[in-house]
Amino acid sequence: MSNADKGLSVVDLTVAYNGVPAVRGISLEVPAGQAIGLIGPNGAGKSSTLLSIMGAIPRGGTVLVDGIDIAGLPPEKVVRKGVSLVPEGRHVFAELTVMDNLRLGAVGRRDKSGYAEALENVLALFPILSEFSARQAGLLSGGQQQQLAIGRSLMADPDVLMLDEPSLGLSPTAVDAVFEALDVIRGLGKAVLVVEQRAEFTIAFCDRTYVLHDGEITLTLKPEDANNVDVLTQAYFG
Amino acid sequence: MSQLLQSLVDALSAGATLGLAALAIGLVFGVIRLANFATGEIITAGAYTLIFTWQLGWYISIPFAIIVAVLLSLLMELSVFSRMRAATPATLLIASFGLSFLLQRVYELAFTNNVQTAPVASELAQSISIGGVRIQMLSVATILLAALLLTGLQLFLTRTSLGLQLKAAAADFKTARLIGIPASRVIGLSFALSGILAAAVAFVTTVQTGAVGPTFGVPITILALVGAVIGGIDKISGALAGGFLVGFATSMLASWLPQDMSNFKDAYVFMLVIGVLLMRPQGLLIRGRGAVRT
Repeated sequence: MSNADKGLSVVDLTVAYNGVPAVRGISLEVPAGQAIGLIGPNGAGKSSTLLSIMGAIPRGGTVLVDGIDIAGLPPEKVVRKGVSLVPEGRHVFAELTVMDNLRLGAVGRRDKSGYAEALENVLALFPILSEFSARQAGLLSGGQQQQLAIGRSLMADPDVLMLDEPSLGLSPTAVDAVFEALDVIRGLGKAVLVVEQRAEFTIAFCDRTYVLHDGEITLTLKPEDANNVDVLTQAYFG
Repeated sequence: MSQLLQSLVDALSAGATLGLAALAIGLVFGVIRLANFATGEIITAGAYTLIFTWQLGWYISIPFAIIVAVLLSLLMELSVFSRMRAATPATLLIASFGLSFLLQRVYELAFTNNVQTAPVASELAQSISIGGVRIQMLSVATILLAALLLTGLQLFLTRTSLGLQLKAAAADFKTARLIGIPASRVIGLSFALSGILAAAVAFVTTVQTGAVGPTFGVPITILALVGAVIGGIDKISGALAGGFLVGFATSMLASWLPQDMSNFKDAYVFMLVIGVLLMRPQGLLIRGRGAVRT
């Protein structure tokens, strides 16, 4: 497989709830080693896009992971094809320890033998998880829980990492820590797809950012557009 | 004093039995939001198996009852509930009522409406005297059995990967699937464990009564469901604690209410339940409003 085929490719994706369209035939590319942003107002269809790629809600269209069609697969099988989602609101298993949360992340690994190395890498990326490994996940701060949620997803050794609003409810320092980690993950050659509300920040961080409006991609932005007020206004208000 | 101790041991035993039954319901509810009323018929199937096979020896009868209960539990999942994944908890509950009534009629056709009897572990029906206090062997055996099962379950849930997956799925099924935990594996596991617990309940109650009819498992399932709800059915430990509490309270009321009022013991228990639900609708052990799964 050529490097150009690696990553996530979405073609003509549609999602509807009780016949009401939420995502209207969008197409996007998330190449390996790049971070791609997906921004837009509430209800634009961002989370529906991620959940439908995971197979958690029904969809139309084609989703290719490293060139392979993952049509009709349930979420647990999509994970085994190399796609992981860090859900909105983190959803760590609050009553389990940090280490148990990480162990559970490895259930979806394709290569079971790489567990020890994956754990070592995650703990190197998020040293705080090593320090609090025996602590109940629910006792961590929001920022630490986000690190745990990302670390848990990385334990599955995904080729494509998707994050749904990773900055939600976090302090500016915690947000910086999360995006520093995402930069490292991108550097490792993973394809990263980030859904965010913070437009400027996302556009500046990502290699390319799609603007989603009422289920359709209305703009594609580059990092240099981050400070362009006209572009941002158009992105959110049309 | 000796009467108090005696009724305390009996109440612990009744609490342990209902705790196990509520746990059988809570384990499945945690994963697929099904409050399985037909758990009663799994208990009945285990009880019939004990009655009909006891003469072959306990070492055949008990494993056989466990196998029957587990297989019936898995069969319910495969033939009915797996086809209703998108259904709401209310629809699932109604389906389980239907399944319960259907199985009761099947038992009626197969074994008649009359109760079937056999002296299952009749040696446990004897009493022993400890320090002047007469205690039923069955009460002690029930408490020990429950302790053994709960310890085993706790070890399984915390020390094994499969157990951890089940625990995670019971806490947040949607997220569990999103991180790669196979839905069919944890659902099947929850039904299998529920079957084992139902078999244990069947053993204890069959020894107690020695007679099994088509609706044998219904009364205990109603109380176990009530217990699971007041403890917090959303949480495995909540269901267990609630079941224990209802069993304990029922037994204590039976021992201590005046003779002419003891027939109303269930009414007192349900008054307690209404009180708890008015004050803590989410259950005693759930913090906040309790999770609502969509």
